[in-house]
Amino acid sequence: MFHPGNILFSFIFFFLLWLPGGSGAVHAAKVPDPTEQLRPYVDKVVEILTDPEFKGEEACIKRREKVMELAQERFDFNEMSRRVLGPQWRSLSGDEQDYFVGLFTTLLEHVYIGKIEDYTDQKVAFRDQRVKNDRAQVETDIIDKNVVIPVSYIMLLKDGQWLVYDIIVEGVSLVRNYMEQFREIIRKDGYPSLLKRMEEKIQELQKSIGKPCPTDLSVDQGTS
Amino acid sequence: MARRTLSFILLASAIAVTGIVPRFSPAAANAAEIDFLSDDFYDYDDVSREAGDPLEPLNRVIFRFNDKMYIHVMEPVASVYAAAVPLDLRECIFNFFRNLEEPVRFLNALLQGRFGDSGEVLTRFLINSTLGIYGLGDAATRVFDVPPVEATLGETLAVWGVGDGAYLVVPFYGSSTIRDFTAVVGEGFGEPYYAWTDNYYYMGTVYAGKETNKLSMHLGEYEELKSVLFDPYVSFRNAYFQYRSKVRGQSRSVPDNAE
Repeated sequence: MFHPGNILFSFIFFFLLWLPGGSGAVHAAKVPDPTEQLRPYVDKVVEILTDPEFKGEEACIKRREKVMELAQERFDFNEMSRRVLGPQWRSLSGDEQDYFVGLFTTLLEHVYIGKIEDYTDQKVAFRDQRVKNDRAQVETDIIDKNVVIPVSYIMLLKDGQWLVYDIIVEGVSLVRNYMEQFREIIRKDGYPSLLKRMEEKIQELQKSIGKPCPTDLSVDQGTS
Repeated sequence: MARRTLSFILLASAIAVTGIVPRFSPAAANAAEIDFLSDDFYDYDDVSREAGDPLEPLNRVIFRFNDKMYIHVMEPVASVYAAAVPLDLRECIFNFFRNLEEPVRFLNALLQGRFGDSGEVLTRFLINSTLGIYGLGDAATRVFDVPPVEATLGETLAVWGVGDGAYLVVPFYGSSTIRDFTAVVGEGFGEPYYAWTDNYYYMGTVYAGKETNKLSMHLGEYEELKSVLFDPYVSFRNAYFQYRSKVRGQSRSVPDNAE
């Protein structure tokens, strides 16, 4: 199958596509490629996480802010909140919905960043993608030393932008996992009590931010 | 003998609970066909779809017990172990045990009608037992690109029509269902490292050693995860079922781009 000519041809083809103006014209007509949109975001996050300037305890908060800034562009926290609340979402007023989105976004910040910043020398490999109408799944592997964590991004196409509304870590959907926890709380104690518990949880997590980042705690387990 | 009786009772009760008629249907095991891109995925109630949780009060007690044991006993032991034994060696030990489990995996893949996968398991076993030096290295993955395949007895029972029974939290073991844990006990008969001895004390030691080794590679993950959860019991139950359908979905090796 291998043919040197093919490679040369792909190179030329690739080059032509990326000439100024060329790329936009080719892609605008069709559905944009989800991986191509996700990749720059992931690359930037990895860059921040592995940047020596952002390593260590004091840089922890700064690093989180940077990553969250990036995440705001690529994640659709509104869509995530709607899904995680299920039927409850529809019974809320606009203001109430906004308030929930705010809480849930802060919570996800801790969950998501806590997860990715564990892997200090990480690389991200893009494995595969699947597009179905306005939905897409991009499969990646986070590779850190000898550990490989499969992470999939579930995305929705909105105004030409693929926005993430769920993350699947090792086959476990984050949204669905929280959905079930929230549903149990709402069923047992009602929606106001869910809000109260979220506020408490966030306070608790904010406090632990001042302490060493998880990264600094877990360095010794791999290398010894 | 007691072990045999215990596993028979468990199996019998699983069958009684679910009222099964053994019938081979690979699709049944994959009832929870997952498509993350479909809205149905976010619609259904996880537990009731796969297996109910009628034992929740008891399960919660065992969950709390496991939680305390994990934090106060298992993890401290594994940390000391991790500090004493280099990572490379720990990986060799992990590979060694995993390789010894391959014949049981092979049989299960075969019983599930996954002939391609069973061939891969056999290939892995042959390569790793020889070139991998008694299974210490995973030459099959690294050199020959034959990655690990999962095939459990629980899955085999599912394929043959045995229902889950109920969600179960097992002391020192964690999330399972009546069927799957019965299968785990049953698989114990097939694992050579439990056959080395007849003494339960030593069997327990082998299990503890194997698990400590595995845990030493995942230190601190549990606490960190727990800190962002509202109801760890519900979250772990949900994650167990989600993870299980992922492993089983993969093993059915449906090409992803089939549309």
